[in-house]
Amino acid sequence: MNQSAPDTLERASDDETYYLNMGPQHPSMHGVLRLLLHLRGEKILDCEPVIGYAHRAHEKMAENRSYIMFIPNTSRVDYLSGMIYNIGFCQAIEKMVGIEVPARAEVIRVIVCELNRIQSHLLWLGTFMLDLGGVTPFLYCFDDREEILTILDRVTGSRLTYAYGRFGGVTMDVDDVFIEQSRAFLVRLRERFLMYHALIRENVIFQERCRGVGVISEEIALKYGVTGPSLRASGVEYDVRRAEPYGGYERFDFEIPTEKAGDCLARFDVRVREMEQSCRIIEQGLTALPDGPIGPKKLIKKLKPPKGEFYFAVESARGHFGMYILSDGSDTPAKIKLRTPSFSSLSSMPDVLRGTMVADTIAIVGSIDLVIPEIDR
Amino acid sequence: MSYFTTIAGGLKSLVTGLGITARQMRRKPVTLTYPHVKPELSEAYRSLISLVQFEELETHDCIACMQCVKICPSFCIEIDGGRVEGIKRMRASKFEVDFALCSMCGLCIDVCPTDTLEYTKLYDEAGYEREWVYDLLDPFRDFEDEFVERQRVSDAREAAEKAAKRAAAAEAKAATEKEPEVDP
Amino acid sequence: MPRTFLDIFGNPLLALGAGIGGVMTVLSLNTLFCIWFERKVSAWIQRRMGPMEVGFHGTLQTVADMIKLLGKQLITPRGVDKPLYHLAPLMVFAPVVAAASLLPFSKTVVLTNINIGLVLIFMFGGFAVIGIFMAGWGSNNKYALLGAMRSIAQNISYEIPLILSALPIVLLISAKGPMYEIEGEMIAINGMNLAHITAVQADTGVWFVLLQPVAMLIFFIAILAETNRAPFDIPEAESELVAGFHTEYSGMRFGLFFFAEYSNMLIGSMLATVLFFGGWDGPILPGPVWFFLKAYLLIFAMMWIRWTFPRLRFDQLMTFCWGALIPLSIVNLLVTAFLIKVL
Repeated sequence: MNQSAPDTLERASDDETYYLNMGPQHPSMHGVLRLLLHLRGEKILDCEPVIGYAHRAHEKMAENRSYIMFIPNTSRVDYLSGMIYNIGFCQAIEKMVGIEVPARAEVIRVIVCELNRIQSHLLWLGTFMLDLGGVTPFLYCFDDREEILTILDRVTGSRLTYAYGRFGGVTMDVDDVFIEQSRAFLVRLRERFLMYHALIRENVIFQERCRGVGVISEEIALKYGVTGPSLRASGVEYDVRRAEPYGGYERFDFEIPTEKAGDCLARFDVRVREMEQSCRIIEQGLTALPDGPIGPKKLIKKLKPPKGEFYFAVESARGHFGMYILSDGSDTPAKIKLRTPSFSSLSSMPDVLRGTMVADTIAIVGSIDLVIPEIDR
Repeated sequence: MSYFTTIAGGLKSLVTGLGITARQMRRKPVTLTYPHVKPELSEAYRSLISLVQFEELETHDCIACMQCVKICPSFCIEIDGGRVEGIKRMRASKFEVDFALCSMCGLCIDVCPTDTLEYTKLYDEAGYEREWVYDLLDPFRDFEDEFVERQRVSDAREAAEKAAKRAAAAEAKAATEKEPEVDP
Repeated sequence: MPRTFLDIFGNPLLALGAGIGGVMTVLSLNTLFCIWFERKVSAWIQRRMGPMEVGFHGTLQTVADMIKLLGKQLITPRGVDKPLYHLAPLMVFAPVVAAASLLPFSKTVVLTNINIGLVLIFMFGGFAVIGIFMAGWGSNNKYALLGAMRSIAQNISYEIPLILSALPIVLLISAKGPMYEIEGEMIAINGMNLAHITAVQADTGVWFVLLQPVAMLIFFIAILAETNRAPFDIPEAESELVAGFHTEYSGMRFGLFFFAEYSNMLIGSMLATVLFFGGWDGPILPGPVWFFLKAYLLIFAMMWIRWTFPRLRFDQLMTFCWGALIPLSIVNLLVTAFLIKVL
């Protein structure tokens, strides 16, 4: 491929426009995203996301292994909400095959998933500030995130790729230390929220950089299927946990934060308020943790799924994560299609970025919280 | 007027920010100076796998059932084994794991029927070749003959005990058959 | 009045050699120290430890880094504009040395004593823009070009409030009359002579920061922008333009840009010290110690600011300059002039 000439956009007719390959190697492209920018000065005339640099063929791998062997893969599709994907996949299979989940396992799953959600949002908060040029909040967020990773590490044995879910339950039980650590963490996090509010949200430079920047209107959001916090910041109250409750979320009392503006600031606010709601869910879960088994006595290895098509969705930290499973009745799925939220969010970028500045690109792309391997799968 | 209030408000927020970082500056660093201070691994830490040395067996208890081979999503385990002359228990003769492929998902440990697999506490191991194969049985090779010998003895004793029991049972059965039933 | 190197050495060549040698030594040591200090300050703010391995608390880390930079290959990418590309690091670096030689660091001895020192320093500060643009244009890299374009707009804009906020000081000094007595010696006082500015502050015992707090604030902000420090580090905005105008430079050429940046910081802080904080004036300790102490306190403030705030966007930066700083500094200048006339 001839890199000197853009390979997808037509050459501009005048001399004033030029092309800028932002990525795949760029400090703030969160991995290997490539944005082909069509610029005049610093103004963006057009933008084309080029993806595929982190393709690992997870969907294809699913066709070559039994359902249970796909569990470790799910944590790696989106490494930031690995727990949610992991347990979401187990929940999908459970619903497809009809496996009962004990009450304790269900509550544990909710708690660890919400911890994972907070962890993901904290990392987003840090990297978003890094994109805006503030390095210090990034380190503070990582400090907090470290606590969550330590808590989850104690329970699951891993810090990022959990592989914690099993069909019908989870691998390891939680103990009193876990409950204690989680409670202590919630106390700490709520204090830190105050600090983040004063250090980041109140900061005049931050507000100037975010207010009115990168407005994703409700129309565009719905057109491209943007989900998760980015959609809720555009004023649509849609959350899979509420719209199609799964895994016992219907028993928890939580709000779905929404904002009207749809700009970077709104997305920031929605995510921060979502972390607070996750704290509430964890608290309720820790209080109402029932006794009992955490899964079937014997590991369920062989499945006998019914023939046909099946769709199940969970709310990941980035939005609507759907699994479309085509089963031919054997132990190996005929096809698993993963519907990942980052992909849809990225699709909306050309419409959103048109007419903004290069510096805004970084803020906007940062604010929609992309995980590149999730786009490519 | 709003021009000045905006500037004043902005300045105030900036000063607040500086205050926060100043407060953080006085606090202790949270760094773990890694090569000097090793991290404390959690109990459940998932790392490379190894075979358990059971106290009562004085060796591992891999029966070469192939469950872990079948479930491994990275296809990195290779096992050979089968019956050993003279003992009842199946024994593995080869347990090769390619750690370059292993993703440390823990499915093999979950699936093991004899619980003879466990995690090690190695966290900084790295392979320097494309294939990084360990035979997990290597540390147990020296015990194997002894174990088989012991097992043969205990199996023989067990068999003898069983035979004796069977004989006793047969005797007792014969006795009960002879005697008429007392209980109506 | 202080003696210059020319007075001391007699021979102009000797004075020149000694001056350049002295300035280079100070600037080199400053760069080595500042890089280490910056890493330490950022580490303290972020609750890390920073460099700890080389030397006591990592003090020799920058020396090791410098050796590494010296050992690196100098890469010249294909398609660069060779003369511009090679000259640019020198063009950025040379004015820094010249500017540094103008500063009165002690009461008794200075390198040079020029009646238009203030103007010269601003002029040498303006030189750096040319070097940056040469680097950006010559690199044949879009990121570098964007960084250079931003840099020009930024530096030219921020020179206005910089000078406008220094002018009240010139007025204040000049208002002391054509002749002024310092330690029994009558001298023809000149508002643009840096030694005179310090001497007047020391003599009256009133640092100009007390008389001109607004000017001091504007001056400090403009210095931040002039030295491309966060939150105004837009020409080299890491998350946007990779490394801005010096993206394509490697090895010691990159080292020279780094050297120039930290030297600029020192010169900016020293100038602020001279104008607003009384230069070498201070009790007990000798003059130069006070001078450097004040300068490094200002450098610390610059680092503290850098590691606290996010970056402004380019157009906001310009709006801030033209919409807030320039009007404010003009108003400040007019008020000062009015008050001097009335009182």
